[in-house]
Amino acid sequence: MALLSAQNIHKNFGQLEVLKGIDLEVQAGEVICLIGASGSGKSTFLRCLNYLELPTDGIINYQGTPIDPKVTNLNQVRSSMGMVFQHFNLFPHMSVLENIIEAPIKVQKIKRSEAIQIANRLLEKVGLSDKAKEYPARLSGGQKQRVAIARALAMDPKLMLFDEPTSALDPETVESVLNVMKQLVNDGMTMIIVTHEISFARAVADRICFLHEGKILEEGSPCELLDSPKNARTQEFLKSVIA
Amino acid sequence: MPNIQHLLDVFLKSMPLFLKGALLTLELSATSLLIGLVIGLFFAFLSLSKSAVLKAISTFYITIVRGTPLIVQIFVLYFGLTDLIKMSSFMAATLALAFHNGAYISEIFRGAIQSIDHGQYEAAKSLGMNNLLTYKRIILPQAFLRAIPSLGNQFIIALKDSSLAAFISMDELFNIATTQGSNNFDQMTYLVIVAFYYLLMVMILSFLVGKVETKLKKSGAT
Repeated sequence: MALLSAQNIHKNFGQLEVLKGIDLEVQAGEVICLIGASGSGKSTFLRCLNYLELPTDGIINYQGTPIDPKVTNLNQVRSSMGMVFQHFNLFPHMSVLENIIEAPIKVQKIKRSEAIQIANRLLEKVGLSDKAKEYPARLSGGQKQRVAIARALAMDPKLMLFDEPTSALDPETVESVLNVMKQLVNDGMTMIIVTHEISFARAVADRICFLHEGKILEEGSPCELLDSPKNARTQEFLKSVIA
Repeated sequence: MPNIQHLLDVFLKSMPLFLKGALLTLELSATSLLIGLVIGLFFAFLSLSKSAVLKAISTFYITIVRGTPLIVQIFVLYFGLTDLIKMSSFMAATLALAFHNGAYISEIFRGAIQSIDHGQYEAAKSLGMNNLLTYKRIILPQAFLRAIPSLGNQFIIALKDSSLAAFISMDELFNIATTQGSNNFDQMTYLVIVAFYYLLMVMILSFLVGKVETKLKKSGAT
């Protein structure tokens, strides 16, 4: 059974139809990359999956149950789906450690000492053990994003959503974030990644979906989609980003 | 202008009386600001709510306070409140000043809350935090930090505005100055002295606010 399945997702912003019926199934342990031009709807679709945006139409099944925003406790759903944002969105008034332990303590109600243990382990994993007491303002973009990943992982999520995690970074810090993500892939984490990093997608994805004007135009394994795309739009897009 | 020797003599002689008045001024300002902070936060939430009715209530309150002189508000509340319920003039003055400052403080809070990046709400949501937790732990702490400079400014204004309580017979600083001035046929000397007390208190307050601001900046928390 799929960990998450989205059926016929539509999203309108007023008159503007951003998503025009997207279907996606994600198996546990799968890594899926969403690619496409700006405005194709990939970020909006990702944000619909944890209901940061309310889909106008369509059904999302998560862990075997359909999500109904009127009935389902969305906070509970979100707490088991980690999300990493393009602009990090760390809490600036909290130290790195406090950023990571906040939700485990307040949402999952685990003991502070236990949360700190988890946080320290995660900081080690993302290579920032020495920054636990720093405030986000003192970190580079790449360091901030790695803290954001640790913060999401601290909730022990079943699925991680990445919304262009390296788009706001200086080129020299992109690699550090991608390395942490590769590590997650090796750990078997289920991940949906919106990205412009085609070579990264090729290296980690089980499946790549190409979005165009609110629809998935083509999907397949990295080899299929990147090396022999069938759709003319996909070919055009890949030519423009790889060239 | 009174000569310096005379000014110093009166200053020293009147010091016990003025210090008592200064204490009352501080009590009056501090209590009314504390209540004003609560009122301010409450109305800030009303004006940020989605309900048009709640918004209108907040707008109405702020319009009344901003559109009428403080002295009129003090008189209306003093005579109105003491008519309805028995209360000391300290209580009435405190409530009037709190009512007045609350409106300005609510605008400060509203602006501060609105200035928090939308991504902060999304990050909190994505971690499974509910609205109450999000505001309590993420939004309000940041908004308070951002509001500190403006709040400090409002505190200074409130301290000086508390002098208007003299007109409902509170024996605070300004009242002492005018009473002593007319009793001794020496208005100017006492006015200069009372100005000095206000100036001193405002300078101390500014210094403290400045200290807090630098500390926050240094920690990188804002």
